[in-house]
Amino acid sequence: MSSDGLDLRIEDLTVVYGGVTALDSVNITVPPGGFVTVLGANGAGKTTLVRSITSLLYLHKGRVRRGSITLGGESILAKKSPDIVKAGVAQVPEGRKLFPNLTVKENLLCGAASRSDVDAIDDSLEQNLELFPQLRPLLNQTAGLLSGGEQQMVAVGRALMSDPALLICDELSLGLAPKIVHRLFELLTEINERRGTSILVIEQNASLALQHAADAYVLELGRVLIEGTADELRGNPMVQELYLGGGGEAHTSYAAIERPSRRPEAHGRRPPVSES
Amino acid sequence: MLLAFGNFTADPSVNLQLLIGGLALGAIYAVVALGFVLVYKSTDVLNLAHGEFLMLGAYFALTFLISENLNFFLGVFVLLLVMLVFGLLVHYGIMRRMVGQGFFAIVLITLGIATIIRALLLIFYGPTERARLDLLPQGSFEVGGATVRYVDLIIFGVVAACVLLFFIFFKYTRLGLHMRAVADDIEAAAAMGIDPDKVYAMTWAAAMVMAGVGGLLFGHVTGAIDRSIEAIGLRAFPAAVVGGLTSLGGSIVGGLVVGVIEQFANGHLGTKWREPVAFSVMFVVLLVRPTGLWGRKDLERV
Repeated sequence: MSSDGLDLRIEDLTVVYGGVTALDSVNITVPPGGFVTVLGANGAGKTTLVRSITSLLYLHKGRVRRGSITLGGESILAKKSPDIVKAGVAQVPEGRKLFPNLTVKENLLCGAASRSDVDAIDDSLEQNLELFPQLRPLLNQTAGLLSGGEQQMVAVGRALMSDPALLICDELSLGLAPKIVHRLFELLTEINERRGTSILVIEQNASLALQHAADAYVLELGRVLIEGTADELRGNPMVQELYLGGGGEAHTSYAAIERPSRRPEAHGRRPPVSES
Repeated sequence: MLLAFGNFTADPSVNLQLLIGGLALGAIYAVVALGFVLVYKSTDVLNLAHGEFLMLGAYFALTFLISENLNFFLGVFVLLLVMLVFGLLVHYGIMRRMVGQGFFAIVLITLGIATIIRALLLIFYGPTERARLDLLPQGSFEVGGATVRYVDLIIFGVVAACVLLFFIFFKYTRLGLHMRAVADDIEAAAAMGIDPDKVYAMTWAAAMVMAGVGGLLFGHVTGAIDRSIEAIGLRAFPAAVVGGLTSLGGSIVGGLVVGVIEQFANGHLGTKWREPVAFSVMFVVLLVRPTGLWGRKDLERV
């Protein structure tokens, strides 16, 4: 029952908050069924990018000054957030943003808010529990009391409840143990490969994101500084220097240090992820 | 020294009578507090116009149930329907434009709405006071030397039914779930495809309908219906705060507790002590538990 991935095209996107420009003529493309990462430091405009795609800028008094965003060839720029979710865009927001006072099950059900095929919601719930079996015994727990890792699983599961064509993850790795982050990225790859869901990952953890994504962009001060395939970016001296800790050794993240050896480079679009 | 203020009595039938009166009054407070809590919980707005909403309900009850002389159930239906439309009007006409504005700016807007409602009622109904409603059974019966009015019993039953209805709605319906999600985190809710605008509109409509029920009930026990009955909003405020502004159940307990305390202050200390005692209870509760008895801080483990 998976929806086929849709392509996302962001062209010449300029976003301002009051007089401050947060994104400046940004071009980013996620091909149908693609796995793309946008890297960048704090303040690079990553979260603004997510807000622009999902039409949540208005909550932060921001607005799109110029440019276009299309999903599957259709403009989503003027749509309201519920319609964008309906069109197939789901997100795992930065900081997870679960509903802390609702139970895990209620959180997951909120992810299906935009769906009109009410009968199929239970199936999606069951699929999610197969993906995250740890959540099954926690279904009636209050979400705010879960551990960070469990919360992030709920956040990913909640986003998947809308059966999205494009899944956006904003800072999935923030504040989580490396093991859990690795597992989550492996799951994203699995979802991408098995369901054909397009995936856009916004990350500070560059080394990890580049291991899983096919294409990558580096955002700095609201502009796209570098773009290319993940392999190209891994080999780019500037990316190595700024985001991978220099010298080509990806030790900016504890996740990379923990692993005994680096993964073999992939020949295809994505490196294999099952050996760890 | 304190004894000089009132006439304390240990007579159980007098105290039973005060308890019954207190619970009846408390049920009214609970309905009003429920309206406060509903709006505050869902939209983060402290609605200081809720007393006026209730007054609007009482005046509309006069129109539909007395002047138009509709069948009781049809009249109640029309009353609640009109209140629902007014609730939507409050959202789409005014409050919607205020989303994202500062807390105090919005509170002041609700005071403005209160003023408008008072003015409109003066224009359309004139300054003369009307007799209170008399559509519910008027009799009473005796229990242990105390008198129980049927009206009070009915009010109690209606309030209990409303609470039960709200509980079921919030716990078991999709819209109820979405309302709780918006209350928890509006941005996350919007990101999930829940339309906060729709949820807010439903909240104001529900609050207005509750005020319709409250106005209908209070219209039966107030001295007369005039433009001073909006004060019930201020008087029920301690009930909402004591219960915790975010807890529906808390607003019920808060209403009953404050109602009973007021009646005992009234009976033992004199009428002028009613409100000071009620607000003192509110202060003490806030000093000990700043979120009210059942209010909660958001659970968050980072």
